[in-house]
Amino acid sequence: MTATLLPPFAEADSPRLHRLRHHNVTVWVTMLLASIASLVASFVLAIDALALAKDPNADLGCNINAVISCGTVGTSWQASLLGFPNAFLGLVFEPAVITLAVASLGGVRFPRWFMFSAQVIYTIALLFAYWLFEQAMFEIGALCPWCLLVTLATTLVFFELAYVNIRDDNLYLPRRVQAALTGLIRSNLDFILVIAWLLILVLAVVLKYGNALFA
Amino acid sequence: MSKQTKLRTQELRHAQVAAAAQQAKRRRFLTWAGALLIVGLVAAIGLSVYKAVNHERTLPAVTGTVVPPQHLTSTGAIPVGAADAPVTVKVYYDYMCSFCGSFEKANTGELDRLVSDGVVRVELHPLAFLDDLSSGTKYSTRTANAIAVVADAAPARAWDFHNALYAQQPAEGSEGLTDEQIGTIATDAGVPASVVDSFTDGTYRPWVASVTKDAFAAGVEHTPTVMIDGKEFTGDLYSVGPLTDAIESAAAGR
Repeated sequence: MTATLLPPFAEADSPRLHRLRHHNVTVWVTMLLASIASLVASFVLAIDALALAKDPNADLGCNINAVISCGTVGTSWQASLLGFPNAFLGLVFEPAVITLAVASLGGVRFPRWFMFSAQVIYTIALLFAYWLFEQAMFEIGALCPWCLLVTLATTLVFFELAYVNIRDDNLYLPRRVQAALTGLIRSNLDFILVIAWLLILVLAVVLKYGNALFA
Repeated sequence: MSKQTKLRTQELRHAQVAAAAQQAKRRRFLTWAGALLIVGLVAAIGLSVYKAVNHERTLPAVTGTVVPPQHLTSTGAIPVGAADAPVTVKVYYDYMCSFCGSFEKANTGELDRLVSDGVVRVELHPLAFLDDLSSGTKYSTRTANAIAVVADAAPARAWDFHNALYAQQPAEGSEGLTDEQIGTIATDAGVPASVVDSFTDGTYRPWVASVTKDAFAAGVEHTPTVMIDGKEFTGDLYSVGPLTDAIESAAAGR
């Protein structure tokens, strides 16, 4: 029997879950699924935006109550910050992420500058997604399920992209920072961090809107 | 290899092993701390969901005799506007509910215009199910009782009083407005002093509790619930325009 190729950050005696988590396929498949989810959500939101443009009073499938209302979020100025529905950005950029994930699954290695640029662009996308989340939560006062899916998927794609770029040392970081981040990943603290972060978001939503959601 | 070199190599190796052990220990600690954080967050989420589920169902108990105010519609609503207006808009609301406040802010002007034009008759259904959100002062019940008193004794002032209450809506979770402040708002809205003085009698509290219970039993699930000619309006309640459009198309269909 030939020796199995170990994923990075794993030793022969590492637990199976640890090895699975750090497997290249796991990383890219997660990113692929998250970017597909984001694309689907953007597609639905884009169609909703067209329906709302035709009739601001349109009865959208996800207008469930005062809090869960795509209509309220979709007709806000924040929903088309750049003069067109934000969802169009998802339609433009998510296919690039999907291509990146599929090509990487197929064994393509992108140059360092390419991966670094992808990280920079996706960081901007992440900030935009969180700005929208914050606006929906605290300014608009309504949530839309598809927007929440985008928030979640964007977080996951960002996380996986950052994982790969730290692993492959693509971020031109000072050595000490690079070593610290690698240590973080090796001990799975990055994973704990992202889970905790997502739970904090859930907690924020439940604390603010629980009464309306579970009435 | 000289004895000295050998010793030095050994020392170096020991130091490396010690450092690695130190690092492993730190990581284990951080992992446990992280796991604890996650467990804590899950518990907090569970607790908030549990509290939320049990929250809004605490309706006021019906105690005492239910005396409905006079001048109500046959369905027990406070009417505003011409009885023969072609379109009826029912609103179920609570004076503490912040979304009702947003609804009011967006639509009061338009509704006011449509009422004056004789296009709409508004039917107010005050509910009191958010008493828990006023730190024990039962703001929802007090204000619902007050609007009932006005509907009974000074019905022409009900609409102005209703709008004035929302114009000065307190935040959810605050103590709400005092009885005096509510009285001042009523007086400013043209309600006679003798009527304002009877707010604190609480005459319609049992009625308020009873209609609140009935509304939820009849399927009202949240506030504001807005119905145009008996059919729930599911469009955007919080911006100017959609409700007006729906009302106007209902009026045109007559």
